[in-house]
Amino acid sequence: MRIVEVDPTSCVACRNCEYACAFKQTGDFDIKDSNIRVNFYPEERACIPWTCVHCGEGWCMEVCPAGAILRNPETGAVEIDANHCAGCKMCLLACPSGSIHFDKVELVSKKCDLCGGDPACVKFCTSGALQFVEEEEAYSFRRESLDNKLKRLFGLNKRGS
Amino acid sequence: MQIVIIGNSAAGLSALSRFRSIDRESPITLISAESGTAYSKVLLPYYLRRKIPYENLFIRRPEDYTQAGIKTEFGVKVKRVDTESHTLTLEDGRTIGFARLLIATGSRPFLPPIEGLAGANVYHLWTLSDTEQLDSLFRPGQRALVIGSGFIALQAAWAAQQRGLKVTVFELLPRIMPTVLDDRAAAVLRQKVEEHGVEVRIGIHTEAVERTRKGLLRVQTKGHPPLDVDLIIVGAGVRPNTELLDGSPVQIDRGIPVDEYMETNVPGIYAAGDVARGPTAFGETHQTHALWPTAVEHGRIAGANMAGRSVPYQGSLNMNVTEMFGITVASMGKFIEDEGLTSHVIDEAGQSRYVKIILREGIPIGAVALGDADDTVILGRLRPWIRNQRSLPDVGGFLEGRYLLPRQVA
Repeated sequence: MRIVEVDPTSCVACRNCEYACAFKQTGDFDIKDSNIRVNFYPEERACIPWTCVHCGEGWCMEVCPAGAILRNPETGAVEIDANHCAGCKMCLLACPSGSIHFDKVELVSKKCDLCGGDPACVKFCTSGALQFVEEEEAYSFRRESLDNKLKRLFGLNKRGS
Repeated sequence: MQIVIIGNSAAGLSALSRFRSIDRESPITLISAESGTAYSKVLLPYYLRRKIPYENLFIRRPEDYTQAGIKTEFGVKVKRVDTESHTLTLEDGRTIGFARLLIATGSRPFLPPIEGLAGANVYHLWTLSDTEQLDSLFRPGQRALVIGSGFIALQAAWAAQQRGLKVTVFELLPRIMPTVLDDRAAAVLRQKVEEHGVEVRIGIHTEAVERTRKGLLRVQTKGHPPLDVDLIIVGAGVRPNTELLDGSPVQIDRGIPVDEYMETNVPGIYAAGDVARGPTAFGETHQTHALWPTAVEHGRIAGANMAGRSVPYQGSLNMNVTEMFGITVASMGKFIEDEGLTSHVIDEAGQSRYVKIILREGIPIGAVALGDADDTVILGRLRPWIRNQRSLPDVGGFLEGRYLLPRQVA
């Protein structure tokens, strides 16, 4: 499956992803409705957009007392079935990354569903910080930097080695 | 390897699916004292107040069992467990052998020893049949007394109020939701409850219940005039269902103590859910929560270990959340101030918002949140910190939504 990969070093905090997500859901631009949220770390001069990573064994799925959180077999997304959600909020408390929110109009939980396989947040990301990539390839930039560190450590980057 | 699971709710079902994900072959028999496919206890109050339709209570279809190759024995109680011969005796006299057994028999409501309380027109909100019974009795104008003010009691009160009943809540202790909220949060919630027209009396000692000639219940209390009601709903806690183990060598001590593999003192016999007393995230070895999430975790660990894995449980972290009387109430871990603990509080009672995080030497150990669902999201984010005992230096920043994960993401 493909997931939304986040590269914090590229994010410029334009919050377009939040606007795109809110608009996709409601037809309006209230970023409080967004499922993706940009987190700010002023001291570290960092900003990190964050959304559901569609965990392999999602605690939200397991704990949902209504059996309303299921994996979409086509996109692999962990989705909430609004018709079966009772609005008990157990999933809000279960998600360790705060990626599930409450729809105050419908009184049910809501979360990223990868827009059915074409996420709006990625489409409207201005800096390339969000990429829609195969799970296995996600965060390869992290591995590259790790690889580089290892190479440096073992002197593999020295010319002639 | 014959597997037997007794219990068809959170713990039993979670164990079942984990076991099957590892072992596709071993025959499994699932026994439940209740008839019918699994329903969700958490959702019963939501149905009672008509938030969800009846059919949404059911979280398994009959074919879910057959497709997973499960033999079901529903509507029958297990009478005895023989650990020597590894057999169960059902109440209808049949016996079932087992190689590994999971006891996930749950708990039942506790009836406080109040004179005259046991009898007609006194109900609980615990099982599907309790709920169906209450549903037929909820008629506008009827007067209901709710004894107790925990999660279930107050949800019952809210459902009754929403259905047009005149509701009074009695709490013996000096605050409502004594095991879920602190004094301040309880006061904020109490105001919300009362704004909805529900009368709340705290610190009240119910002495006796009499039945009048008109068929009413007359409730006598210390220091107050008697209260006449049509029905009483008792929500005063639960007790584990351990009778089937009477006379067996399986240890019972206010529930079934289990080790970190959810195994009892008898090898091959496991326990999970409300009936089990397992380890907690705080290092306690045997604790009962009687909470859905704990039951799910118990079941998952038991299921894996019954299938031959060796998966220790990192311990339960109590968590509770619901919305009632127009306010979201959530708490987890240890949330009462005590010596050696510090607290970080946001108190905007005017906006009905109250958030508190309790820390021990900078490590969060619990929290309470009242108000908007957004604060529940913050509590969810706090869970990994509590579990992994990570120090949280900037609690204020955390409450504003900073510090994404307990790992170094930035």
